[in-house]
Amino acid sequence: MVIAADPLLLGPIGLEVFLIILIKVVASFVLLMVSVMLMVWFERKLISDMQNRIGPDVAGPWGILQTLADGIKLFFKEDLIPENADRPVFKLAPYLSLVPAFLVFAIVPIGGDFRTGDGTVGWFGHRTFLQVADPPMGILLFLALSSVAVYGVMLAGWSSGSKYPLLGSVRASAQMISYEAALGLAIATVFLTGGSLSTHEIVSSQSNWNWNVATTGVVPFLIFLVAGTAELNRPPFDLVEAEQELVGGFHTEYSSIRFALFFLAEFMNVITMSAIAVTLFLGGPDGPILVEQVAWIWPILWFSLKLLAFLFSFVWLRATLPRIRYDQLMDLGWKVLIPLALGWFLLIAALNVGRDRGWSPVPVVLVSVAVLWAGAAMLGGAVRKARAERRAIELGSDEVLDAGDGA
Amino acid sequence: MLGQYLPVVALLVLAALFAALSFVASRLLAPRRPHDRKLAPYECGIIPSRETPERFPVRFYLVAMIFIVFDIEIIFFYPWAVAHRGIGLFGLVAVLIFSVAVFESFVYLIGNGALEWGPIAEVRQAVSRRFGSEVVRPGVRQVGLEGRDAGNPTIEGGP
Amino acid sequence: MIAMAALQGFDSLMSGDTVVAQNIAFGILAVVMIVAALRMVTTGNVVHAALYLVIVLAGVAGIFILLGAEFVGVTQVLVYIGAIVVLFLFGIMLTRGALGEDEEADTEKRRMAVLVGVLVLVVTGGAVLDSFGDAAVNRAAPSLTAEIGDTIFSQYIVPFEAVSVLLLAALIGAIVVARKD
Repeated sequence: MVIAADPLLLGPIGLEVFLIILIKVVASFVLLMVSVMLMVWFERKLISDMQNRIGPDVAGPWGILQTLADGIKLFFKEDLIPENADRPVFKLAPYLSLVPAFLVFAIVPIGGDFRTGDGTVGWFGHRTFLQVADPPMGILLFLALSSVAVYGVMLAGWSSGSKYPLLGSVRASAQMISYEAALGLAIATVFLTGGSLSTHEIVSSQSNWNWNVATTGVVPFLIFLVAGTAELNRPPFDLVEAEQELVGGFHTEYSSIRFALFFLAEFMNVITMSAIAVTLFLGGPDGPILVEQVAWIWPILWFSLKLLAFLFSFVWLRATLPRIRYDQLMDLGWKVLIPLALGWFLLIAALNVGRDRGWSPVPVVLVSVAVLWAGAAMLGGAVRKARAERRAIELGSDEVLDAGDGA
Repeated sequence: MLGQYLPVVALLVLAALFAALSFVASRLLAPRRPHDRKLAPYECGIIPSRETPERFPVRFYLVAMIFIVFDIEIIFFYPWAVAHRGIGLFGLVAVLIFSVAVFESFVYLIGNGALEWGPIAEVRQAVSRRFGSEVVRPGVRQVGLEGRDAGNPTIEGGP
Repeated sequence: MIAMAALQGFDSLMSGDTVVAQNIAFGILAVVMIVAALRMVTTGNVVHAALYLVIVLAGVAGIFILLGAEFVGVTQVLVYIGAIVVLFLFGIMLTRGALGEDEEADTEKRRMAVLVGVLVLVVTGGAVLDSFGDAAVNRAAPSLTAEIGDTIFSQYIVPFEAVSVLLLAALIGAIVVARKD
């Protein structure tokens, strides 16, 4: 078995290779910063269009420099640390939000010809991937980093020493870990078809329209999208910063540049989550090469277009859907998405194993559906039983409204 | 193989450096005029009359606990998913037994109301029935005079 | 001339012995872990202690990756940092909202804790030395995830199924704890 690895880093690492690494790292850093800047503008402008407003239009042409102006303004704002705060943790939290957001982008292949070649490009006489790094654990790095990002939110709220941030952060961290399980299961289904954890391998297994969104049967893709939106705390899952209840959520007490870093991380996560979705399900940079003379540009173009489609739909969701309630959020995550993702994972695995053993797919599907239906029936029965019991208890007692219940 | 992590480390250093330099820049550029009211915890302008609640519903703890179980289950799925073609039917049966064991305890947990949140529609109706005419606007919480300026004549004892 | 020499020195540092680079990385990780572990048991703030624990666990993950056991390293992050310490922090946040030092953390139980700690160190250290001795890790051939899958589903199939029973017990335990509220 061939181990996936960036050929650049396999040999001895000399000065030249080191410089290439440096170029890649700095390039991806700049790329991320610029795309965050444009994303914030894009979101504001698009939302304005959808709401029949004009939106930012003063700074630069079409207001495109608005984000830059806002960012510069925040540098000049007073940086307050509340007197109740736990100072070291309060200062640490923005780092824990921002650094994982940056690192996730390292594993995303943004270009390279996977159809006729092996996805490498030649730079200064070295072959390399168009991604910052390709560790064999690729996608697991993404999951690990998103579990670290939970700390940023949780600690920011706790260390503020104030009511609303604490409530917001407990909500947010419970939400993020709930949907992380669904996210992990949806990704596991991709491993069934790709047979590797490395992002480069996953992308090259999808070349020539063999996209995972079709080979895994759409459902994991939809689960990934819903769970991803919840993981990002984007509308309609933005209970974390429900202004009517929690003021600003976990970053209520943050001001000036510390707030800017949370803001930056939030939008960066939108971009990297979309990039991961493109990589996992939509073939990454895969697409037809239309003009041979500039063959190298097409994969990058396809990748950007797919990314843009995701970014657009995130904004669209925000403009369209109202915020859901916390109990609906938890019910959707635990009682729908996780069981569905688990069932679909086992179904795809059973189909694969059945195909290898030469079974006819019809009985395999029938038996699997029967098993999954039995599981769903058990779960539905359990949900109904719990609800009926609670109704009996709550209607029986005098304390009908439990104040702490929906916190 | 470890070379593959070198760029990741480089990006980490760059990101941390960026955040640190932003703090330095903000320190140099931003004014520093703290006073009591700015440093007090944000309470929508009302002087806090109560401490932050000491306890949260135990359900949050349960969510974290169930998450650990699913996390471990998923971790075991990954190596199997990568190698499941080679392992064949035996592996599939083993994983099925494993998932059934976890899933049935999950169902038991849900059946016992571990993940029951929020209001029930009938409960709300029952509330407004029970209090009858007392509930003028169900769903509107009475805020009261706590923490407000007593001399302000515009506020008169709630709805 | 000096520049050339510096370049050559740099080249040999980066290319020559990767073991040297690994040893330097191990040294840094080890020092960070030891300091964090000491701070964890001496700090008076429970949340700070949990955060120092996160540093120690991240160091363990780093050492796993250095030894070529990447899957185990990432698992360490996902399960311990991403789930178990989050559970600890939830436990702390749910029961005490107040920030600051906790006097109860510093009691006369400290001597007993040192004793237990030393005992655990001796037992686990002895077990590791006993089973592995001075066997060397093959750093050139890192363990592949697929190989881990093969091993779990052949050699360790009984422990694997036992884990599912353990998880079942954990979930039932969780509901027993929650039902008392």
